[in-house]
Amino acid sequence: MEKEQYQKLEQYVTPKPPYLKNVAKAFVVGGLICLIGQAVSLFYMVFFNFTEATVGNPTVATMVFFSMILTGIGLYKRIGQFAGAGSAVPVTGFGNAVISAAIEHRSEGFVLGVGSNLFKLAGSVVLFGVVSAFFVALIKYILVTLGVVSW
Amino acid sequence: MRHLIKTLLLCIGSMLLLSGCMEKEKFVVYGATTQGKDVEIIVKDADYVERATVIQFEDSMLVAVQIKPWRKWQKAKLEKKLQKQLDKKYPKQEILVSADYKIFYEANKIKKEQLENTKLNERLTKLKELAKEQT
Amino acid sequence: MVIIFPSKPSVLAGGVAAGPLEKRSIFSSYFDVLYDDERWQMKTNEQGHRQMVQEACQSAIKKLGVQNAEVDYFLGGDLVNQMTPTNFAARELAMPFIGLFSACATSVSSVIVASLLAELGAAKLALAGASSQHNAVERQFRYPVDYGAQKPQTAQWTVTAAGYALIGQHREDCPAIEAATVGKVVDYGMDDPFHMGAAMAPAAFQTIQCHLEQREQKIYHYDLILTGDLGQLGLKLLKGMFVENGVDNEELTILRDAGAEFYGQDEAFQSGASGAGCSAAVFFSYVLQQMRVGTYKHVLLVATGALLSPLSFQQGETIPCTAHAVELTMK
Repeated sequence: MEKEQYQKLEQYVTPKPPYLKNVAKAFVVGGLICLIGQAVSLFYMVFFNFTEATVGNPTVATMVFFSMILTGIGLYKRIGQFAGAGSAVPVTGFGNAVISAAIEHRSEGFVLGVGSNLFKLAGSVVLFGVVSAFFVALIKYILVTLGVVSW
Repeated sequence: MRHLIKTLLLCIGSMLLLSGCMEKEKFVVYGATTQGKDVEIIVKDADYVERATVIQFEDSMLVAVQIKPWRKWQKAKLEKKLQKQLDKKYPKQEILVSADYKIFYEANKIKKEQLENTKLNERLTKLKELAKEQT
Repeated sequence: MVIIFPSKPSVLAGGVAAGPLEKRSIFSSYFDVLYDDERWQMKTNEQGHRQMVQEACQSAIKKLGVQNAEVDYFLGGDLVNQMTPTNFAARELAMPFIGLFSACATSVSSVIVASLLAELGAAKLALAGASSQHNAVERQFRYPVDYGAQKPQTAQWTVTAAGYALIGQHREDCPAIEAATVGKVVDYGMDDPFHMGAAMAPAAFQTIQCHLEQREQKIYHYDLILTGDLGQLGLKLLKGMFVENGVDNEELTILRDAGAEFYGQDEAFQSGASGAGCSAAVFFSYVLQQMRVGTYKHVLLVATGALLSPLSFQQGETIPCTAHAVELTMK
């Protein structure tokens, strides 16, 4: 059997990923995570002195903490298998990427294991996040200087 | 799982329905001031404001508003717009317009607790400081 | 490529150790040691992996009633970097050792080498097999175990299992090794590490085809042709290739896959089981016992291996695969 022929057979046999179903699942679970996040930030605003402008930091910390607990007891990967992007895109997914790497590399010690592998998965998120933020800020700065838009 | 999602959606739906039925005072003015009694009219006139609580004390005024959901994208802009409008109308008043939920919540609390005089003044200055905090 | 063994070395005993999830396997009643802790109460996954290899070897040795010192060669491998779990197990077992790597096909490639040693008369007893431990292998090839990435339907689950067999001179009451085929490395341009069945199926097809041609056999001459870990989709593809080659569907019921059957129809494991331990565990427990009972008299075991590394697929290389086969008979 030739390569092309086999690739045709492979495409015929392999089931198509259920995109619509995946999108719906991601929407519901991602939405639920954000709903919980909203509840957490409401909690911080009602019971502590945080405004909408300042509540972001404690909320993110709390959500990452929740995701740490869920990752630790092995539940987050199950949520991830069900929800896909729904649980990967919110900040809990970032937390999961960091914490799962930390758990994984605990056996190599704190410095060479946890320390150097903590951002194995999340490192590129941090890097490209910072780089793209820089370019977005640069473009906006140029536009403001030219008088096209205001801050 | 499917059952769980169904019940959850039902719960959220009924909650929305209930909260929609509860009629709340949408525009509140608390406290007295030397001028600016018709501030309520201006705020009511702004079509993007859903609810508002105005706290006044002597020459200080805090206008805490909640922007309508779909207009929230332009929250900062609308906030500024209202601030300008009010500054123009009452040049002698020290006005702060805030669309922040926390400020709105605290403003309502002041009204609920019926604070007066020094206590009211204290809370008001504190709130104004809080509203300016960045991170 | 086909090796024929005139002296017909026998598979004298098999030993299989498996982890907690493998209790859900439909073959679990055939396994010798089932552990509740996937780390075998060790500190790390790799240490647990080593312990599992030892347990599998020991149970094979115990079954035959011999001493460690009587075993002349220990041949095996796993999927972890530099195969340390197997190497360290060899240290504990204190046997002359050759580490072998053909990815998941190690379970059969080790048997082929052991049979050659037995044929040569160099080994009275040789231990051959392979193993894999889910956590240790996943971290090697994919993401951290607890990372919540969605696996596609085509993905397979690396099993936690070790299977080892003792191979020695011919004995009437044991399955005998008639012939073996060492497979070529085949690459049909598949590059999805979450769809290994598709990459490995052509290798299995070529090896089976080659073995049948040179032995002048047909599929129906066998009671069972069992592939290692193609998974449900890989098995479908393999059958599809045979259909295109003019083999009719009824004959293809002889063709089965250990990976596809390992966890039954459980959807949580997507396309089925994989890993060096998958084929080894099924071959050296279920198949051997069924042959001893007489259910199967003529069996072809085909273990397939995907020869990739995380480095190679990140660099955009396709996945080359291999498959090795041994032909077992039982009088």
